[in-house]
Amino acid sequence: MKAVIDFSNYLLPILYLVTFGFYSYDFMKGGKRFTNSKRLFLFLTLSFHLFYLLLRSIHFDHPPITNVFEIFTLLAFAVSFSYFILELLTDIRGTGPFIIIFSIIFQIISTFFITDVYQVKEVLRSHLLGIHVFNALLGYSAITISAVYGFLYLILYKDIKLNKFGLIFNRLPSLEILEKMSFYSATIGFFLLSIAIIIGIIWLPKAFPDFSYVDPKLIGTAIVWILYGVGIFTKIFGKWKGKKVIMLSIVGFIIAICSTIITNFLARSFHSFY
Amino acid sequence: MNLLATSINHKTASIELREALYLSSDEIKEYLKHAQGKYFSESLIISTCNRTEIYGIPVSQNISHQEIQSSLLQLKSVSGLTTDNFQNYFSGNAIRHLFSVACGIDSLMVGDNQIFKQVKDSFQLAEENHYAGFLMKRIFDSAVRAGKRAITETAISEGAVTVSYAAVQLIEKIFSNLSRKSALVIGAGETGEIAAKHLKERGIGSLTITNRTYERAEKLAENLNAKILPFNNFKETLHEFDIILSATSSDNLILTKEDIRASMKKRNYNSCVLMDIAIPRDIDPEAKNIDYVFYNDIDSLNIIVQQNLAKRKEEIPKVEKIIDEELAGFLSWFNSLEAAPAIKDLRDFFEAVRAEEFEKNKNRFSAEDQEKVEIITKRIINKILHHPTVELKKFGENGTNNDEAAIKISIIRELFGMDKKNEKEN
Repeated sequence: MKAVIDFSNYLLPILYLVTFGFYSYDFMKGGKRFTNSKRLFLFLTLSFHLFYLLLRSIHFDHPPITNVFEIFTLLAFAVSFSYFILELLTDIRGTGPFIIIFSIIFQIISTFFITDVYQVKEVLRSHLLGIHVFNALLGYSAITISAVYGFLYLILYKDIKLNKFGLIFNRLPSLEILEKMSFYSATIGFFLLSIAIIIGIIWLPKAFPDFSYVDPKLIGTAIVWILYGVGIFTKIFGKWKGKKVIMLSIVGFIIAICSTIITNFLARSFHSFY
Repeated sequence: MNLLATSINHKTASIELREALYLSSDEIKEYLKHAQGKYFSESLIISTCNRTEIYGIPVSQNISHQEIQSSLLQLKSVSGLTTDNFQNYFSGNAIRHLFSVACGIDSLMVGDNQIFKQVKDSFQLAEENHYAGFLMKRIFDSAVRAGKRAITETAISEGAVTVSYAAVQLIEKIFSNLSRKSALVIGAGETGEIAAKHLKERGIGSLTITNRTYERAEKLAENLNAKILPFNNFKETLHEFDIILSATSSDNLILTKEDIRASMKKRNYNSCVLMDIAIPRDIDPEAKNIDYVFYNDIDSLNIIVQQNLAKRKEEIPKVEKIIDEELAGFLSWFNSLEAAPAIKDLRDFFEAVRAEEFEKNKNRFSAEDQEKVEIITKRIINKILHHPTVELKKFGENGTNNDEAAIKISIIRELFGMDKKNEKEN
């Protein structure tokens, strides 16, 4: 089984790259050549990724949430899976390459640095931790997607203002749709992060004796959560709209990424597990 | 095959000449009646603002394009029109030209799919009045099939190629659902009317018209089920509109940057699209610098039009391939109407039936009798086919271009399902 896991680990970035190739070709060239097959290939890639995650969980006897590189492969899966669901629900197919590229980045990082952990701390086997991580991951996927749609909104907004009617203008959905997708994703992300934070606040002090409220990870997450909260609140009450809310979403995403890097690679935190 | 075609179109004549030669349905019927039997055994005319074309199967080899052109000009005299203004086609080239017309690649606006409907209507008119028959039907069926394939299999008709339609395409890049949006059209002239119609067709939620002459706005509003706003005070409610489309003939600006800024403030900077399709412009172009204002004039809309036209032109080789395929299919069918292949196909068909039945039933007979049965059945087939073969050979002797022979051979092929059998084998 270990050999299959290792093989799958190296095959996954290739599958994501091929899927990305299909989506990019379709975006650049248009036409109907890969309109349906690209979605099928994404489905196959996600199915294979799920198979890989299950194999890891069975073989190592714990869900793949014990170190940052296991989290990265989960994040790669969650981002593409969320996009897949979004594509099925909305039938908006032109934005795939911009989102799948994040799965490629997350998966490549995971593939090259993931380690095999057979023995994990007892604290990492908790069900509450599982729910906490599950919500946090889906939340981060949602804010990644929100930032991508926000970024695409800004590019299209600028192109229309400057009368640049190129590939972006021809292939992307309308500004209104991009704004809505970004806002809905941010709202879902905010909701899921809220659940992750609530569980964290209840469970972390009990699980970790060295728990601290000034932990960089907690501060980073709190800033991200507040930013999204402010954005959603001002949007709902009609104070802010369009570019302002979208800029907030992009800044929130950048802070979330920086917070992850600082917490896991630079700072010493109770939130680092390896 | 004897198909003769003569065409006056945007490549050969000015718009004035084309318009002067345009034939109404009644004029078409009058000409076809006049030409029937005298020049053509079957004929039809396609006449639009951009082209007038006559297609016909001539009654004799002596009928010339010039004779047809003269007879047309006798019906409708147009000064300044000479034979140089006509393009002449014959046989396969005439069919290819017709296919190109039906596919929209011969149109002034490449990919114009209105011509596809006009070709169908022209054939219908000729068929209903019994001027188009068996051969014309087959030719036009192929033309319509080529046109349909061009629309569905290529992007020859995709994208906006008029300024007013490009404006709507651009609006749809900003707003996702026009049924929830309100639009104001300033100016009820021809351009304003076309743009308003496009918005209505795309399902705009609310359409309002304003015009200096109230009666004109009233007339257009009535046609499009739109609201009317008095021109004197329309600026007071500018903020209520998500889309403002201006197409007046005013020499001065109608909306200044300050008007737009004030309106945007009132609408809390919700996105607003300004389409200025007037010459000279009606809206201050500086308005585009205001946040969430999407301003476009004729120049910027023309960029979209030119891009779409270029994309359509890139599709022409694909359409030409379709035309080649349909032409080859048609000519293959037509050639099968010659006597020699028809005789061979007919004999092959009967022999296949005989051989199949013999194989099925031969075990009922002794080995000695089987040989006899085979000889007898072959004799029966030869006797049945003797007279039809002699008659078909006579058609051949009268020449392959004999249309009457072609019709008879076609009936034989259809009765015995020989074409269907060939299609299955292919």
